Amino acid sequence: VVMAFKKVNSRRHIGLQQLSSLASIGRTLLGPTKSCKFIIDESTHESVLTCSVVRLLENLDASSAVGQLLHETIQAQHKEYKTGMTTLLFLLGAWSNAVLDCLQQNIPLSVIVSVMSEGLDSCIAKVQCLQISIHNLYQRPDSVRIEGNDKTSIDSEHSLSELVGNEMPESHLITSSYSKKMRLTHSRHFNTLGKSHCLPNQPNLFQGHFTGPATDSYECSNLGQLAMSLSHGNRSSMKLVQDIIRCQQQSADKVSDSHTGYIQFNISEVVTCCLSGLSDSYSCACQGYVTLISPEKAAVTKQLQDKPLQIILVDGDLTERYRHLGFNRSSNVRMVSEGVSIPENSSISWINCMLDILIQSKVNLILVRGNVCENVMEKCILNKMLIINPVTPNVLQAFGEVTGAEPVTYLTQMNEHCVGNGAFVNLWRTGELTTVEVGNEVPISIKAPGIPLVTAVLSSTIAAKMQAVEDQFWTCAYRLHHALSDQAVFLGGGAVELLCLSHLQKLEKQSLKSLGEFHNASPWLAGSLARYEPTVLKALASGWAQYLSTVMCNTANCASAFEASTSIQHHLNRAAVCYSSLAYILKEFSKGDQDIAGTDHVSKPGEVLKTYDNVTAKVEAWRRALDLVLLVLQTDAEIITDPKRKQLLNSQESSEFMFL
Amino acid sequence: MSRIEVKKPSLCTNEPFSTESVSRSLSVLSEIVKSCYGRSGRLKQLHNGMGGYVCTTSQSCVLLGGLSVTHPVLKLLTASVQNHKSRFSDCGLFTAILCCSLVENFRRLNLVSCTVIKISKHLLSLCTDYLKSEACGCRISVDFNSTKTLLCLVRSILTSKPACMLNKKEADYISTLILKAFLLTIPHNVETNVALGKCIIVPVKDKRVADSNLFPGLLIEIPEFEFPKFPVKRVSSSTIKMALFCISMSGDFLGAREGTVMVKHGVSLDSAILDQLLNLSKQMVNDGVGLVVCQKVIHPALKQYLKEQRVITVDRVGIAMMEPLSQMTGSQPIASLHSLSSSCYGSLKDLRTETFASKEFLHLIPHDTLVCSLILCNRNETAWGELKLACETAEHVLLLTVKQPLALLGGGCTETHLASYIRHKSFDMCSSTFKDLCCSPAEYQIVSDAFCCSVESVACCLEHDGGEILIDRHYGHFWSVESGFPSDSDWSNLVLKCGCGICNNQQNLNWCVLQRQCGRFAPKSCYNETCVNSKDDLVLDCFTAKYNGLQVAVETANLILEVSCIIEDQN
Repeated sequence: VVMAFKKVNSRRHIGLQQLSSLASIGRTLLGPTKSCKFIIDESTHESVLTCSVVRLLENLDASSAVGQLLHETIQAQHKEYKTGMTTLLFLLGAWSNAVLDCLQQNIPLSVIVSVMSEGLDSCIAKVQCLQISIHNLYQRPDSVRIEGNDKTSIDSEHSLSELVGNEMPESHLITSSYSKKMRLTHSRHFNTLGKSHCLPNQPNLFQGHFTGPATDSYECSNLGQLAMSLSHGNRSSMKLVQDIIRCQQQSADKVSDSHTGYIQFNISEVVTCCLSGLSDSYSCACQGYVTLISPEKAAVTKQLQDKPLQIILVDGDLTERYRHLGFNRSSNVRMVSEGVSIPENSSISWINCMLDILIQSKVNLILVRGNVCENVMEKCILNKMLIINPVTPNVLQAFGEVTGAEPVTYLTQMNEHCVGNGAFVNLWRTGELTTVEVGNEVPISIKAPGIPLVTAVLSSTIAAKMQAVEDQFWTCAYRLHHALSDQAVFLGGGAVELLCLSHLQKLEKQSLKSLGEFHNASPWLAGSLARYEPTVLKALASGWAQYLSTVMCNTANCASAFEASTSIQHHLNRAAVCYSSLAYILKEFSKGDQDIAGTDHVSKPGEVLKTYDNVTAKVEAWRRALDLVLLVLQTDAEIITDPKRKQLLNSQESSEFMFL
Repeated sequence: MSRIEVKKPSLCTNEPFSTESVSRSLSVLSEIVKSCYGRSGRLKQLHNGMGGYVCTTSQSCVLLGGLSVTHPVLKLLTASVQNHKSRFSDCGLFTAILCCSLVENFRRLNLVSCTVIKISKHLLSLCTDYLKSEACGCRISVDFNSTKTLLCLVRSILTSKPACMLNKKEADYISTLILKAFLLTIPHNVETNVALGKCIIVPVKDKRVADSNLFPGLLIEIPEFEFPKFPVKRVSSSTIKMALFCISMSGDFLGAREGTVMVKHGVSLDSAILDQLLNLSKQMVNDGVGLVVCQKVIHPALKQYLKEQRVITVDRVGIAMMEPLSQMTGSQPIASLHSLSSSCYGSLKDLRTETFASKEFLHLIPHDTLVCSLILCNRNETAWGELKLACETAEHVLLLTVKQPLALLGGGCTETHLASYIRHKSFDMCSSTFKDLCCSPAEYQIVSDAFCCSVESVACCLEHDGGEILIDRHYGHFWSVESGFPSDSDWSNLVLKCGCGICNNQQNLNWCVLQRQCGRFAPKSCYNETCVNSKDDLVLDCFTAKYNGLQVAVETANLILEVSCIIEDQN
C-alpha cells in the first residue's frame, strides 16, 4: 500500500474554491420565494424536482474530500434542526469567497481564523437582544418583550414601543440569556399573566375545540400568529401544523380530563401520509395513523370497521428466517430424524404455527415494524386479520401506550400482556364522506381512544411535487417545535443579519481588545492585528450582506443586486447615525411592512404579521458554516490512505501527489 | 500435483540513504509533521480517495496511523513515535519532528556515523541530566494546592489541536471539565493500594461544545422507546442489586465452535437455550436483582419476562463499559449461563433516568463515585473525534503529572532554552570527554551545533505564518515577531510575550534572531513562584512525555544513522 500526499494550500486555496463552487448551486433556493431545480440523470433521463438543499445534495455526486465534508455538515444541521440548511450552504459559499479574498491580500491565515471566529462570537452575542420570548407573544399581541437577563421578572419587561420611545441604554439589552431551556409548562408568566390579560371574547382560531375555560384558548390564538410568522411563506403547511397541535391538544385533554391550556407540541408523535395525485384540498391533520394499503386489505378493513379490535405490535420482521439483532445463527447444527417420518415442509408448519397463535389470541390488527412473509399475509386476509407494515417505532409506541399492547419480537413470545384492546380501523374518508383511491392503494385510518399520534395527510396533484410538499411540512413543523423549545424567536425578515452588519461596522472602528484574547495564533500576530482586522471583519460582514441582497433579489423585492445593496447600505447608514442601531432596527422591523427581506405576507387588511426566525437553528447554521470554512482554510494537504497507485499516477493531477 | 515455486532471493540495499527516494520520502514525512505542529498548525485531510469518511486532523497518532509508509527506515521512525505516543499520549509530533531534523542534520555533516552517534548520545545525557536537575531553568514544579497550573497544562493540550475547533471560552470550559473528571477519579481515602477510577467519554455529536457536561457515576444511553416506565426494584432504600453479564444472552447456540452438532428432529435448540436463559432469570428475580446489564444482546423474550417481573434490562453496553461497571458496582462479570453464584451480584446506590441533548440515559449512581461520565459534544464528526483524542491525552497527562509533579515551559521556550544551555555547556567541555568519545573537539562542536539546530528547529515549527523567531540572551526563551525587520531593530517594541507566556516585553532581555549571531550564553531560570502563580494563561507541556520524547527521538535518529544495509524478503 502506498500513501499519497497532495498539497492543497497556496494563495488560491483549492479547497475553498471547491467549497465556494459547490455552495453556489444553492443560491436560488434562498428566501421564501424559491426557484425549484430539475436534476436530470443523463443516462436514464430520469429527473427530480427539488427546492431544498438537502434533496439537492442527495442527488449530487460530490465525492471530493471537501464535497464530503460539505455533505456531512448539511446533513448534521438537517438531522438536528430540519431548518437552516439553505442559510448554511449560502454562507459557506459567501464566506469561502470572502476568505479567498483575504488570502489574496496576503493576510496571515491565523489572523483570518482568529478574527473571523471571534467576530462571529461577538455577533452572536449581540443578536441575542433581538430574541423575543414567546411568553410575551402569548400575553399581549401588540407588544414584544425584549429578553432581559436570566431572571425574567415582570418588572424588567419592556414592550417594544416603550423601548423605542424611551431609548433604553443599549448595554442593558445586551445582557441577554442565551440558552434558556425552561419548559413552557413551568412558566410563571404563562400561569399568571396569560390569564390576567385575557379577553374572553377574543376571536380565535381554535374556538370551540376546548373544553376548558375560554381564557386558556386565548393563548392559542397567538400561537396561530407565531406559527404564521414562522411559516416564511408556506402558509398552507403551517396551517396543517396548527391543526396537528390542536389534535394533540384534544387527545391530551380527553386523557387528563382537564384542560391545562399549555401548548404541547410533541413532534415525535407526528407522522405523514402522502396521497400523491390528489388535489391539495385533501391535506389535513388526522387523529391516529393514516396509511395506504392494498385493495385486498381494504376489503378486510371494511369488514372490521367500527368494531373495537384486539391489536398486537411486532417489533421486527414476521418471517420465518428473522432473528433479532445480535443473534448469531450457528452453521454447524444439523437436524437428524430417527426412523421413517414423512418429511414435513418446515415453512408450512411455521406459517400454520403463527396463524394458530394469532387466531388463539383473537387479534384482528397486527402492526409490524419490518417485513411480513407473503404467505402469512395471505392467510391473515383470509382469516379477517389486518397486517399493516412497515410502521415506524413511534407508531408502535403510540399504539402500545393507549391500547396496552406490549411490543413483541416473535409471535411465540405472545401472552395476555401483549394484546391490546380498543383499536379501530376505518377507510379514510374525506369531508364528503367518500373514500378515495391513490394509485392502486386505499388510505385507511387506525385509531384508539386518546391516541396522541396525529397523521398529517399530504396531497399534491403533481406527483413530482410530493416530496417537496412533505419536506416543507416537516420544515414548518420543526420551526414551530424549535420556537417552543427555545422559548424564543428572532425578529426575522433580515433584522438579525442587519444588526450583525451594523455591529461589525462598529467593531471595525474599535481595536481588537473588545474581541478578547487572541487564542490560536503566534503572539506576534496579536501585535500586527490592527492592520488586518478591519479587512477580515469586512469579509465576515460580506457574507451577511450577500445573504440579505440575495434574499431581496430572489423575492423580486429588488430588481438588481445593486439596488438591494443600496437599500441595505441606506439602512446601515441610518442605523449608524441613530442613537442605538438596535433601537433603529427594532423600530423599522416592528412596523411589519418594512421587512427588508420583503417576505410576502398576504395578510388580512389591518393585520400586521411579523416574520420570525428560529434562534438556535439560525445561529448554529452560521457557526457550522464558518467552522467548515475555517477547517478547510487551515487544511494544507490531503492524505489518501489507500490509493490505487496506478490510478493516481495516470490521473491528470499525478504531479501534485507525493508518495511515501 | 503440487506446484513448486522457486524462492525469490532477498533484496539487499547497501547504504540506504544514498538512494534518492529515501531522502525524498523522509523529507515529505518531515514536511507533514512539521506543518501540523502547534496551535496554528495546518490540518490534514485523511480519506481513502473514494468518497469515504474524511478525517481532518493534526495529531500524530491519527496521521501516522493513517499513513502507510513502505520504506523500512520510515517504518522504523513511525513505529518509534507511535510507541512513544501509546505510552505517554502526548508529544508525538515533537518526537517525530526532532527525529526527522536530527537525521537530516546529521546526514549533512560528512562525519563517520559512529562518531556522530557517540557524540549525540553524550549530548542527550547532558540534556536529560539538566532537565532532571534542580537547576533546570525550563521546568516548573506543579503545585497541587491550586488548579491553575493543572488547568494551564490541560488547556495547552486542547489549544494545540486546532482541528477541535474550540474558541477560547470553549477551551476553558472543556479544560475545567477534564480536570474535574480527573479529580473525581481519585479516591478520598488513600490506602496502600491506590486505584484510580475511570472517566468514560459519552459521545454526543452534532451538539454545541458548551452542551458538554460531567456526571458522577455512569451514563448508559438507552435506545428510544426502551426507557423503563416502572420504579426500580430495591433491596433497601439505598441499595439496588444488579447482575452484570459479559456473554451474549441473545439465545444463540454457543456450544461447539468446531464440528457439527446433531439435533434430533422435533427438538428445538433455540427454545432449549431460551429455557435455560429463563431459568437463570427466575433465579435472579428470586434473588431480588433489580437491574440486569449485558455487554452483548439480551433475547427479546428474556427482556419481556424480566420487564414483567419489574427488572430493568440494559443490553449492548459494549466492552469498554465492562471494567468501570464492574469496578463501580462490585459485580463479577458473569460468563456462564449454567450457574449463578449470588456473590457475582453488585450493588448500586441509585438508578435514575436522564434526558440529555434529546437522548435518553440510565444514570447508574454507585456508593462511592470513582467513576464519572463526561458527556462530550462537538458540532461535527471530525471535530468530535479530534476533541475526544485531546481529552484522553489530557487525562493521561494529568496522571503522569501526579506521578512526577513537574511541567516544562511550552510554546517553544523549553527547546530554545535547552539548546542555549547545550551550546554553552558543550563549548567548555573538558578534554577527557573528547578522549572518552574518541573524537576531536572540532568534531564535537560540529555535532553539537547540528544537535542544537535540530532542537531549535522544533521550536521554529510553531511559526506557520512567516514570522521571525527571536531568542532572548537572558532566559533563552522563544519569541516571535513579524518578518521583514532588520536584525538590528529595537526588538523590545515589536515583541509582546514569549512562547510560554512567562516573560513580557517590559524586561529588557537583549533579543536576537534565532540561530544568527546570538553567541553563547548560560540561560538563566526565570522561574519563581509568584511569577508563575500570577499568570493563568501559561503554555505548559507534560514533563514526563517530553522527556521521554526527547530520548526516543535521539535514540531513533541514532539507530537510523546506524543502518547500513536493508535486507528485504521478497517472497
